[in-house]
Amino acid sequence: MLTTPSFEYLLLSPMLIILAAAVIGVLAEAFLDRNHLPVIQLFISVGAILLALIQIYRIKSSSSTSAAIGSVVIDKATIYLQGTILIIGLLALLLISDQEQFVAQASAIPGSREEQESTSKGSIQTEIYPLLSFALAGMMLFTCASDLITLFVALEVFSLPLYLLAGLSRRRRLLSQEAALKYFLLGAYSSAFFLFGAAFLYGISGSVYLVDISSAVSGGYGNDVFVLIGLIFISVGLLFKISAVPFHAWTPDVYQGAPTSVTAFMAAATKVAAFGAILRIFYVVFSPIANQWRPIISVIAIITMVFGSAVAIAQRDVKRMLAYSSIAHAGFILTAVLALNKSGLSAALFYLTTYGLSTLAAFGIITLIRDATGEVTDLNKWAGLGKKSPLIAGSFAFLLLSFAGIPLTSGFIGKFAIFSAAYETGNIAVVVFGVLSSALAAFFYIRVILLMFVAQSQNDSISIAIPSVKSRIAIGATTAATVILGLFPSLLLNITQSFSIFIK
Amino acid sequence: MNIANYLYLSALLFTIGSIGVVLRRNSIVVFMCIELMLNAANLAFVTFSRINGNLDGQVVAFFTMVVAACEVVVGLAIIVTIFRSRRSASVDDASLLNR
Amino acid sequence: MNTSNNLLYLILIPLLSSAILLLLGRKIDRYGHLIGTLASACSFVIAVVEFFAMKSRDVTQRAVTQKLFEWISVGDFKVDATLLLDQLSICFVLLITGVGTLIHIYSIAYMSHDRDRRRFFAYLNLFIAAMLLLVLGDSYLNLYVGWEGVGLASYLLIGFWNQKPEYATAAKKAFVANRIGDFGLSIAVMLMFANFGTVTFSGVANHAESASRSALTAIGLMLLLAACGKSAQFPLQSWLGDAMAGPTPVSALIHAATMVTAGVYLIARSNFIFDVAPTAQMMVMIIGAITLLFGAIVGMAKDDIKKALAASTMSQIGYMILATGLGPVGYAFAIMHLLTHGFFKAGMFLGAGSVMHGMHDEVNMRKYGGIGKFMPLTFVTFGLGYLAIIGVPPFAGFYSKDKIIETALNHEGSAGLIFGSLALIGAAITAFYMSRVMLMTFFGNERWTNRADEPHEAPFLMAAPMVVLALGSICTGFLFTRGESLVNWLRPVVNPAGEQHLVEHYSATSISIAAITAVLIGVAFAAIKYLKQVPNIAPDNVSVFTKFARKDLLQDEFNNAVLVKPGQSLVKTLLNFDYIVIDGLVRLVGALSLDAGQTLRKLQTGYVRSYALLMILGVTALIFTIWLVTL
Repeated sequence: MLTTPSFEYLLLSPMLIILAAAVIGVLAEAFLDRNHLPVIQLFISVGAILLALIQIYRIKSSSSTSAAIGSVVIDKATIYLQGTILIIGLLALLLISDQEQFVAQASAIPGSREEQESTSKGSIQTEIYPLLSFALAGMMLFTCASDLITLFVALEVFSLPLYLLAGLSRRRRLLSQEAALKYFLLGAYSSAFFLFGAAFLYGISGSVYLVDISSAVSGGYGNDVFVLIGLIFISVGLLFKISAVPFHAWTPDVYQGAPTSVTAFMAAATKVAAFGAILRIFYVVFSPIANQWRPIISVIAIITMVFGSAVAIAQRDVKRMLAYSSIAHAGFILTAVLALNKSGLSAALFYLTTYGLSTLAAFGIITLIRDATGEVTDLNKWAGLGKKSPLIAGSFAFLLLSFAGIPLTSGFIGKFAIFSAAYETGNIAVVVFGVLSSALAAFFYIRVILLMFVAQSQNDSISIAIPSVKSRIAIGATTAATVILGLFPSLLLNITQSFSIFIK
Repeated sequence: MNIANYLYLSALLFTIGSIGVVLRRNSIVVFMCIELMLNAANLAFVTFSRINGNLDGQVVAFFTMVVAACEVVVGLAIIVTIFRSRRSASVDDASLLNR
Repeated sequence: MNTSNNLLYLILIPLLSSAILLLLGRKIDRYGHLIGTLASACSFVIAVVEFFAMKSRDVTQRAVTQKLFEWISVGDFKVDATLLLDQLSICFVLLITGVGTLIHIYSIAYMSHDRDRRRFFAYLNLFIAAMLLLVLGDSYLNLYVGWEGVGLASYLLIGFWNQKPEYATAAKKAFVANRIGDFGLSIAVMLMFANFGTVTFSGVANHAESASRSALTAIGLMLLLAACGKSAQFPLQSWLGDAMAGPTPVSALIHAATMVTAGVYLIARSNFIFDVAPTAQMMVMIIGAITLLFGAIVGMAKDDIKKALAASTMSQIGYMILATGLGPVGYAFAIMHLLTHGFFKAGMFLGAGSVMHGMHDEVNMRKYGGIGKFMPLTFVTFGLGYLAIIGVPPFAGFYSKDKIIETALNHEGSAGLIFGSLALIGAAITAFYMSRVMLMTFFGNERWTNRADEPHEAPFLMAAPMVVLALGSICTGFLFTRGESLVNWLRPVVNPAGEQHLVEHYSATSISIAAITAVLIGVAFAAIKYLKQVPNIAPDNVSVFTKFARKDLLQDEFNNAVLVKPGQSLVKTLLNFDYIVIDGLVRLVGALSLDAGQTLRKLQTGYVRSYALLMILGVTALIFTIWLVTL
């Protein structure tokens, strides 16, 4: 007897709104006047995100496993993560809407006359807005997906637009295109691993639903080797997205090559989405066999923290440096996965939010430091920035201190929460390495601060662009959030504590 | 025939694909190797579907094909743009971003 | 414990004012300074109201708290942002807001020609807010926030004229010394958390009795390090002299009356730790004694009036630190000296500012001389401060310094005799070098070169605060000691057991006579040397001793060798880290991964294929590990 599948549209509405905005954006590309498109597209995207945030607020205390016939789970943690992704998306959108960084016509060959013409005409690739909306919708779906199909589809829906966005930089186009190619090939490679792992999990449980896989895993029937193969291959796909070592190699190249505002979005939002999925899978599905995967995840967390922190020191490009720092941070958050308890989850949620906001702010500031050829990311040219613009350099220094986890910054509270949660559950080795590598990390952040404030400036060619109102809002809001959450962390800690619930 | 053999075949295809990604230079071929890996996963899904006696695995296979098609669209777009700028589809030529 | 809702406003008003001044920008340049002054005055009024309210309550009910919000709550670790106003903090609050307001008023006139006066007032307000937070926090963590805040404000104010490179250098030096101190404080807080599981004053006090001796000693020493950084005590003293590069009102407020005394506050506040950690307490005394002599000796050779005053500040804080090291009896006298010092030293700095104002920003005392008759008001107010600092009865400094010397001499064991005598010697030297400042500035031959514009008296807005502070230097000592009022007032906080000295080795009268004699000797030497003609350039044919003293007893050379050189090479190492360590690391790892021939650097080749290879190796390693784990 067939029953009509039932959907709880209210619970799905945040995602549906963003997806609808993406589709409408594509239609607008096709039918509307190109001159008005930038404004229209921005309006559609911002409007959709605001609407979705309102919906998130309305459903903030609901939870359901049957919102879409078992394919998605809406619970407290999901709602929190989706809200975070939307807020990050909104602020990133404000940065991205400064068209300055994007190529005028992506299909034109770099250096060709066609390119010069389109640049001088002031054309704009407004497709970035629908692409961004698709990515956002995919990320939101990724955090709540509760079957293998939805997980895989969501993974691709948020990855494919990002591959394209990475290749749209106006300056240094070859590098940007190369970043897109690398991101795409390696991303596709990792999703193949993910899918292969999914096949084995399906194999042992006979179901694509995470709930059934979880009970199959804890029941111990099926084939243990298959469980482990499934576990490993699925983890590879996820660890790639959070750029854990040794699946990190794309990160510095892509972060450097992509337009900076896109990098800001990728660094902040992808991490939230991917960790959302990782936390769900490890907390919900694999927690019964924690003893088997804890050692390897511990090792990966340790290597990631240490490697990220150590190599960051060697970087001479500020975007690459932040890329390695994001690798190190992935290691810190992985530590929370090991905790496998409510305080670990709460700590991870807190860390993801604060890290996401600070990262947006840091990349936002990078977009302002320019010379005649565009953004200046060579660290040596940043020498003496503190004298040129104490406010900008001071804000950047503060963000770096937050990344380093110096007390009175949100980064410190986040690290403290994560390490104490992991410590409570006996992951002492990881905590020790975590503390050591955050000390190591403090080293390279402070080096940049010294460079900005102490070192003599070698050339005067760099200037600080006057940010547009949109960038100013984005950078100001994220920096202010970092300051406020450092001084008053309990504002957010209370929220993350009440929202750290996964249901099966 | 032993149904496990299909799994062996799937694993073999997956390995060939993943090694191919490392060994081949032409980005189109690299991409085809990734497709091979996806199809190996599909084969595994279908095999497990048969073993488990339900259709979920086959449904996944269809989804995978659709997703793979989307990937081809995006992937070829990127590869073609790079080819137009560089007159080369070699993945080794695209290595300006290092250190 | 009683609660109060006014404490937050104490901090909030100057903080808001600071934000308004910074955010509204040049639009409010015309009256920005008035907003700033008003904010500070409001805080002062609240402080006075709170003081009388506190005074009217019963002794056991005097402390009030105000819980603001739950600050950090991570697992078992909970810290509330709570303000605590007790007998100790009210002293500081009154000093900070009172002297602060006077200095705001003074700055209106002093900074009137500066284009950025509004910004200056914003920083001053920020400083007031941070300093109030420091003394009002009810836990070490809250204190730490204020501690960092005053550091930031002081950094901004020292470097206020940062167009000139030497000023920026001074700001940097202060920054580094304070960082070292702050490091000590953060370690101390961590140790407290690790040992007691709490960082509130009352919580730590409850646990301190039963804690291990070594932990308490470590905490005490770390707190002392923090105090050394903030209060310019040996061996972190060198920044204070350079910090004089900032505007003079800043020197008066931050580097004489308030911020530099935060170290004394920290130690007095932590009395429950030091009282049960004798080793740390002994170190406190030693540091205090060294610094009080060090500052005094350096002060003898300084020709820059502000640097001479800075050296004397260092030395006077040495007295306070010495007093805090003397145990329960000493804390109250340390605070007393701190308060009287706040008046007379701030007054003298303002006087120095007034002299500089009249002398076209000349700071070299060898270019002064005979100014007294041109600037009578400055002369009188400065002179009253001078009489107070050298300890002439009945001025304020006499009472407070005398009490410290007396307590030191009566301290048990030979330590008491040693430290007491050192304090007496310090008093003689103080009298000498302060008389030297006085004589070189206001008496003797006129040595300024430009005859056309002779020194002129300060305007009213500058003179009025000087007069008020001078009145303070006259009467505060008497007020505090009458009926032991301050000692009794502070007893519940710093000396709850009501301890007193067991034996009196020397009578109070004999010690007072000795102290006065020491002062007279110092003054006499100065009179002999400086009442005659003073050359307007520093003579070269001086003793080795003077040369050393002129070079700050080689403190910069010492720091260069011990701190700066290693620091610079550290920075250099950091900046060149990739060439040295990372390459080494790369080679090391490269040597390890034999087969693939990939070094770490080569891993990041830029080749997609090698990234993919890395992933495959990763997967293989994972499978291998998990196979081992589950075997």
